[in-house]
This record gives sequence, structure tokens and C-alpha cells, in this order.
Amino acid sequence: MVLTIDWELVLFLVFSVVEVACAILTVTSKRLVRAAFWLFLTLVTISGIYILLRAEFVALIQILVYAGAVPVLLLFGIMLTRRKMLEEGETPEAK
Amino acid sequence: MTGSLLTPSLVGLCRSLTEILLGIVKALFDALSLPGVGSWFVSPGVVVFFTYLIACLVMVIWAMLINLLTMLWVERKLYSRIQDRYGIMLSFPWPWSKRYKRGITNMGWGFLQNVADGVKLLQKENMTPATADKLLFHAAPALLVSSTVMVFAVFPFSENFYYAKVSLGVLFILAALSIGPFSIILAGYSANNKYTLIGGLRAAAMMLSYEIPMILCVIAVVVLNGTLDPFEMVAIQERPLMGTILPSWNVFSPPQMLGFVIFFIAIVAELERIPFDIPEADAELVEGWTTEYSGMRFGFLYGFKWLRQFAASGLLVVLFLGGWNGPIIATPELLGYPIPILPQEFWLLIKIYVVAMIITWISWSIPRVRADQVLKIGWSRLIPLALLTILGAAVFKTMGWF
Repeated sequence: MVLTIDWELVLFLVFSVVEVACAILTVTSKRLVRAAFWLFLTLVTISGIYILLRAEFVALIQILVYAGAVPVLLLFGIMLTRRKMLEEGETPEAK
Repeated sequence: MTGSLLTPSLVGLCRSLTEILLGIVKALFDALSLPGVGSWFVSPGVVVFFTYLIACLVMVIWAMLINLLTMLWVERKLYSRIQDRYGIMLSFPWPWSKRYKRGITNMGWGFLQNVADGVKLLQKENMTPATADKLLFHAAPALLVSSTVMVFAVFPFSENFYYAKVSLGVLFILAALSIGPFSIILAGYSANNKYTLIGGLRAAAMMLSYEIPMILCVIAVVVLNGTLDPFEMVAIQERPLMGTILPSWNVFSPPQMLGFVIFFIAIVAELERIPFDIPEADAELVEGWTTEYSGMRFGFLYGFKWLRQFAASGLLVVLFLGGWNGPIIATPELLGYPIPILPQEFWLLIKIYVVAMIITWISWSIPRVRADQVLKIGWSRLIPLALLTILGAAVFKTMGWF
């Protein structure tokens, strides 16, 4: 028996599992910067799925525009929210 | 005009190397009377896997061990000379040299000083601040390093010296370089320190405002050349300039002269070199967003700036300065055989290092601009001028002037 593996399917499954997990973490994470990090990972894995769909241009634009815009989002997020939200938990000052 | 040093190509050479190595492995297993294992090693899939692995290793060693160290060395020697001193001189001497016999080891060229600094950083303790966000604090250097190395997956050093030939190469390089600011803001924020936070936010604000003119200038070049493929872009710049023996590099086109200046300023700002180094202004914020890092993580964050400088200068050279073309079209001939003046790789490296030395020269001779001035230059000067460049490129393309 010859065992053949469809590597594109494997990659697609890996990308989609990581993407869904990161998307869930984005909306459930309480720390703003971590949420931005998970959002970044979500967008990068979406671009990986675009590459599997043979849409390289869209994939690169996805990284350049969407993943590149995450810092903007983060900047506004930091400016417009309370700092207390980001330090909760481990920091001694917050207690 | 001149040939490439590497023929047929990096992957092709690595393929022959891999076939030889795997042939030796097969002979070993045959000698051990295990022919099944031996023939598995020379099956096509395994050969292709090892070929790309070896090509990847060669590229990473070439980019990170050779060019990063040379870039650091050039930088340190050049700014020492600008400040009228010798700079780094520690060197491993030749055992038969007079200086070595007299016991002098600190009068060399100093090329190995950076290796020594790297070894020192490896031995140091990796400290993590107690209040830091551990995950992001550790993820930021990895993100910065990997996104910078990613550039060299598509970066062409000549017609044959490349790892992957991607038709959207310029876009890929820009996308890889645009991940950098995110890792910088992560590094600045996760350390939970006042100075790193201010440095990270300044870096984010600055890089956002300078990435836009940079990409607009690339758009102007793409409009003029009609391609996103670096190989085609360089081939287009190889034709003669108005019947002379000079090549028609993009920088000789009137709108692109402006674009070249804007792109140069934008990459100096992207690299946080001194006129625009507000994110790590040592007099105000201890070491900016790298303050809390120590050991090799600091080494990565600090040293990879020069690899980013190499990549950004390379992009500048490919876009505006004709890539691996020499400055003269004609090739001298001897008895009917063309004499290559210099191989293509040498032209590209010479141009990259000249651009990098100009960046160093600028950054060690003029003072820092203020934070608000940096943003003002970016948003209200460079972006309108970059839009003007696109307009000029469109007009020139439509009229067929260049």
C-alpha cells in the first residue's frame, strides 16, 4: 500500500485550526496587546490560506495592508483605553 | 553585459551538491548491505527536500553570517573614522605575521570584533522583567528576526543567485519588512517599562508615517516599469539611456529622482537611523524599546537593524539603481570574447554597501530631529511629494518619454 499525503490539505487544516483558535483568542483575551497579537496571527494565517488558493497577490496585500495596520489599531487602542486594563494580573502596582 | 558568478543557479548548484552527498550516503548503506535505506536516500522527494534545505542554509549563512557581520564592521569602522579615531582593531592575527610574533593582537582590521561581541552576548544572562508580558516579550525578537530573514527568501543577488524566483518579489520584500514595526511595538509594550513604552509608541507612529511614502514611491516605479518582478525590473533598467552607453536606471528618470530621494529618506527613517532615531533616542529614553532586553535577545533586536539596512538598501538598489547592472552598457571584447568587468553579484554588493555607507555617513554627522518634526516631515512633506512622483511617473509612462 502506498501512503500518499495531500500536503495542501494538511497545510490547510493547520492554517485553519490556528486561525480559528487565534480568532477566538482575539475576542476573549482581556489584555489589549495580546488581543492585537492574536489578531495579527489570524490575519497572517488567512494570507497562508490565500497562498494555498493560488492567490499570491491577495496574500501579500493581506500581510502588507491588514497585518501592517494592526499597529495602527493597537496605537488607537492604547490611546483610547485605560492603562489599568493592560496591567491586570501579574503587576504588583495594579493590586 | 556581465555574467553572473553563480551558474546555473543557487538551487541548481545545491542540487548537484546534494546528489553527490546522498550518493555517498547510498554507497555507505550499500556497503552495510542495507540497499533499501540507500535507495530511499536517492529517491526524488528526499533529494528535493535536501536540496532546498541546503540552499536555505547557504542563503541564511550568506545573509546573516557574512553580510550582517560585514555591514556591522563597515558601520563601526566608518563612524570611527568620521570621529577621527581608529575604531575596532581587535583581530585574530596570522600566526606568521610580525605583529603576532611580537604579541600584538589589537592592531588589526577588527573584523572579528563583532563575532567576539556576539559570543559575549550569547554568554550573558537572559533576563525577563518580573512585570513583563512573558509571551509577547519573548515573541517580539523572534518575529523581528524571522520577518527580516524572510526578505532573503526572494531577494535576488544576481540573475542566478536567489532562493526563490517569485513574480511578486518586490511586494514580498515590502510585506516582510512591514511586519517589523509590529514586533517593535510589541517589544516596547510588553516590557512594561516607561521608556520602552514611549519608545515603542514613537516607533509605531514614525514607521506608520514613513511606510506610506515608501510604498507610494514603489508604486511610482511599478507604474513606470509595469512589473512587480525584481528580475524584470532590472532587465528593463538594462537598456541604453537615449543611445548612450549609460544604462537607463530608474533614478535617471526625472520623476524618479524625486522618488529616489523620498525612498532614501523613508528607509533611513524605517531603520531608525540617527536623524530619525526618536524611538531609541539614548539621551531621552535609555535605549528606547530595547531597554529591557538582555543577552542574545538584545543582540538580535540591535544587530538585525543592520540586516534590515542591508535588505532595505538592496531594495533601493533594485528599484532605482539598476540592480546588478554595471554603470556602462558596453562590454569590452578581447579577440571576440566578452570580458566581464565584474560579475553581477559584485556590482550589487558594491551598490548596496555604498548606499549603506551613505546612510552611516548621514546618521553620524547630523543631529536628531524632534518627534513632532519627524511626523511633520513624513505626513506633510514626503507623502504629497510621493503622490507627485506617482503623477509624474504616470505622465512619463503615458507620453512614453522614458
